[in-house]
Amino acid sequence: MGIAIVNLMIWAGLFAYIYRLDRKTSRMED
Amino acid sequence: MRVSDALKWLLGLWMVVVILAAFFYVRPAEGFIGESSRIVFFHVPMAWIAVLAFLVSCIWSVMYLRRNDPKDDIRASVSAGLGLLFAVLATTTGSVFARIMWNAYWNWDPRQTSITILLLIYAAYLALRGAIDDPERRASLSAVYAILAFVTVPFLVFVVPRIYFSLHPDTILNTRGENEFDSRYTQVLMAALIGFTGLYVWLYTLGCRIQGIRQRRQQEVL
Repeated sequence: MGIAIVNLMIWAGLFAYIYRLDRKTSRMED
Repeated sequence: MRVSDALKWLLGLWMVVVILAAFFYVRPAEGFIGESSRIVFFHVPMAWIAVLAFLVSCIWSVMYLRRNDPKDDIRASVSAGLGLLFAVLATTTGSVFARIMWNAYWNWDPRQTSITILLLIYAAYLALRGAIDDPERRASLSAVYAILAFVTVPFLVFVVPRIYFSLHPDTILNTRGENEFDSRYTQVLMAALIGFTGLYVWLYTLGCRIQGIRQRRQQEVL
């Protein structure tokens, strides 16, 4: 149970980071 | 919401489902200590993405040598970098599994040895790129290197570990061509492979866009 939550937290953090980077890149391309 | 945004959110949700399924939908496999068998849902897709990324890097390197388009060089280098990242992650997850099953993070098993050689080969690719200032020379030399480097991948990933005795568990498709995973394991593993491939595609396109911006800015400065 604990390790599943850790995995979900890692994924949520990674997803948020990549998504923000993606948005920032889009703004720089415009 | 644009289609690409929707796909990114779909990937985010897909991976949440994969993680939940990996821990709550399947039971720990027989013959493995504790929960260690669940690592297959992360370790195998990471290794798969590493091989895929090295293949993509090789293809774009061939394209660069044919067309001399700097964009092909960017595509090849971004993919090689991602391949190296996923190979490191596959090695790390493999070491965690080794610690649980064989009581040591590292024991120079044929798979561990061959992945180390592969990591060194692709680390040298990035070192080569960093060592050459002239963009055209860097692109053509690293394209040749990437093609030669990929020649070693099938041997190091598929051939060498099968020649020598290895502690590594059998891969999904064994020499008899049978799928020995139970159906739930197969379902979650396939879902994880799709999810990780989606993540690779996203990171790859993002990396190419960032390198494109960097290159344009360097040209503007000059």
